[in-house]
Amino acid sequence: MSLNKLLSKIAATTVLAVGMAGSAMAADYPEKPISLVIPLGAGGSHDLNARVMTSVIPQYLNQAMIVQLSPGASGQKGTNEVATAEPDGYTLLFAHNYTDQLQQHVENLPYDTLEDFVTVARTNFAPIAIVVPADSPYASAEDLFAAAKENPGKIKMAHSGNWGALFVPAAQLMQANGFELNLVPYKGGGPAMQALLSGDVDVTMGFPSTLAGQISAGKVKVLATAGSERIYDDVPSFSELGVGGDVGFMHRVVLAPKGIPEDRLQTLRDAFGQLNGDKTYQRMMSRLGENIDYMSGEDYEEMRKEQKVAYKSLVESITGQ
Amino acid sequence: MIEQFFTGFEMAMRLDTFILASAGLFAGMLIGALPGFTTLMAMAILLPVSFLLDPLVGIPFLLGIYKGGIFGGSIPAILVSMPGTGAAIATTYDGYQLTKKGQSRKALDMALFSSLIGDTSSDIFTLLMIFPIALLVMQFGPPELAAILLLSLVVVASTAGRNPIKGLLMMCIGLWFSMIGTDPIGGVERFTFGMFELKSGIPLLPMLIGVFAIPEIVSVVRANSSKIQGATKVLGERLKFHEFKRCLRTIGRSTVIGTGIGVVPGLGQVVAAMMGYTAAKNASATPENFGKGELEGVAAAEAANNAVNGPTMVPLLTLGIPGDNVTAILLGAFVAQGLRPGPELFETQGSIVFAILIIMVLANFLFLIIGYFAIPFFARIVSIKSSLLIPLVVLFAVAGSYVFRSDVFDILMLAFFGLFGVIARYGKFDVMPMVMGFILGEPLEYAFGQTMAMSEGNLISFALTERPGMLAIILLTPIIGFMLWRSVNKKQAQPEGSPPDESSIR
Repeated sequence: MSLNKLLSKIAATTVLAVGMAGSAMAADYPEKPISLVIPLGAGGSHDLNARVMTSVIPQYLNQAMIVQLSPGASGQKGTNEVATAEPDGYTLLFAHNYTDQLQQHVENLPYDTLEDFVTVARTNFAPIAIVVPADSPYASAEDLFAAAKENPGKIKMAHSGNWGALFVPAAQLMQANGFELNLVPYKGGGPAMQALLSGDVDVTMGFPSTLAGQISAGKVKVLATAGSERIYDDVPSFSELGVGGDVGFMHRVVLAPKGIPEDRLQTLRDAFGQLNGDKTYQRMMSRLGENIDYMSGEDYEEMRKEQKVAYKSLVESITGQ
Repeated sequence: MIEQFFTGFEMAMRLDTFILASAGLFAGMLIGALPGFTTLMAMAILLPVSFLLDPLVGIPFLLGIYKGGIFGGSIPAILVSMPGTGAAIATTYDGYQLTKKGQSRKALDMALFSSLIGDTSSDIFTLLMIFPIALLVMQFGPPELAAILLLSLVVVASTAGRNPIKGLLMMCIGLWFSMIGTDPIGGVERFTFGMFELKSGIPLLPMLIGVFAIPEIVSVVRANSSKIQGATKVLGERLKFHEFKRCLRTIGRSTVIGTGIGVVPGLGQVVAAMMGYTAAKNASATPENFGKGELEGVAAAEAANNAVNGPTMVPLLTLGIPGDNVTAILLGAFVAQGLRPGPELFETQGSIVFAILIIMVLANFLFLIIGYFAIPFFARIVSIKSSLLIPLVVLFAVAGSYVFRSDVFDILMLAFFGLFGVIARYGKFDVMPMVMGFILGEPLEYAFGQTMAMSEGNLISFALTERPGMLAIILLTPIIGFMLWRSVNKKQAQPEGSPPDESSIR
């Protein structure tokens, strides 16, 4: 008992001391470069996005932001690194909603994302599109869904890895509409698209930024896009097909370890807000084919909680079968 | 199309293009030479620079980094037996032995010339045959890839050396190592013993540096301590023309093999270098010299791994699909310039595509000049006193293992594989089949899993009805394996002038 008391006393003093040191230093934050850990591989869309972000944001932070790639275990390695990092605002994570909120329902993780991280900003998001070859027998999403209902597991869909950005929307659609596809994994969206073009699979999904070339070349047709608004004039949205809510969006988010001093978090949130209004940033992002649909950290925090619940039921319905 | 080609040629003739391409080549070579820093990282970091440049300057800059980096990886492989990338593994076999003989400069020259010939021929081939290649690429899906990877394993096993049982054993260990971590398809943890660090599998670089460089360091240290002169500290001569001419057949063969492998999505430089090396050894009248400092061995590996480059660009340029991370970065560079690679780009701005392909070829000539003058400086590294060189190499081994993922665990992995390499050498086990098993194991498992998913579990009827290519490769595999095994055996059965040498087992 006395030992416990002593320990708690020590802890209290330490917290106090650290807290004071923190507030004394806050005015100077950031006084050294900030690392932005990406738990995904080099050359992916997160990498490209981050290169643009980090080349512009120093203007608003007065410090460099350095991209640090830490791929492995489908994003868990890098995420764990940041979860266990000092919450001093010098280590941030650049992840997406599936590594952030879905993975915990599939595997045992050494961290709890909702408890261990707080959102700095959602930099942008990408809506998924259902894609078939131009000469596909399925003229509409309804056709495809009906055919998949009739022949469960016979229609092959290429995706970019289990519980990844193409797999989850497919699972969500299957759950909502009660059909079954044969989900064939590929090593990323590129190989999945190649499989579609070579006829190895019947359907795949992709983000508009990666589809533009194939669409204009007339090689593929889009059957539906995520969200409630149409992206292509003649292609229905998921809402029109009766699939509402946060289905088929990949949100790119900057997270900080929880426990980061409030004023530092505010500095970072402000910097990302300013970044979003930056002309150079906007121009470079539009060249990459990415939108700059920014959402503040506070707003996205609410979404994360909803995602956690929705993904839990999704995973249960898929793996429970 | 001819018109576009010539317009493209004119567009490519720009001074700033050549200057920036040279800068990229030089930067790539330096970065590639540092173990742990990959070409891919260098390209990702310098990508925003290309946003600010004209497309015909920025993209050649990135291409320069790519090409320079692949050659750069062979420099530490030759000088200190430390392959900086998987592509340079086969180069360590003979390259380092040449350094030991005091011929490091010759080995580096050979690596440069054969890289450039392999690269240039495959680029020109790609330039001329881009549309047929694009059609061919589409014929290879996961089932064919799985069959080719299986064939590669058989080739490695049947040419593993004097003792096929030892080779097979090492390969199985390598395959087992590749299974450690999260299963690539189902996401199930295997052999991780509950360690979080092992979840993402065994990292390649610490393994390579561990099994190839550490045993060399140990042997040099041991040799020095017993007052025997270790690695020679002579720079050696440059490559002579007759030596180069002798290797031309090998370079040609490796170029064809490398280009062919480049057409198959997902195989890559590691397999190409290994196959080029194996084929050269098999065709040689004196296969026993391979692994003891045979210039042909360096030529075979380096020509093959560079020849992969041309065809890997084809899916990107014709379809706009990046097949790997390097081409994904290039796609980013294209798109940021408002150019979207794909069929449409060929129709509307074909001349730009041709200009880029032409620059790829011309960059090789620039590289010849840059490389030729840079080699003496690199070669000088081994002339440092070994009391300084050894700590330096150890430092690079540790730093190279660490820097890739910034994880202390990787240094433990380096120590483990260093020990593994030392024990293997002591027991006269060749570590190469282990490394190949490790490298080929994961893609083989993945492609097999994909094939099973595609076939809905009926593999045999799937192969018979839908996949003649896969069926043909699988049927050919035992035949090729048997032929290779017999020819290796026959050559070894012949009485050789030299007594069996321990150093052939590396």
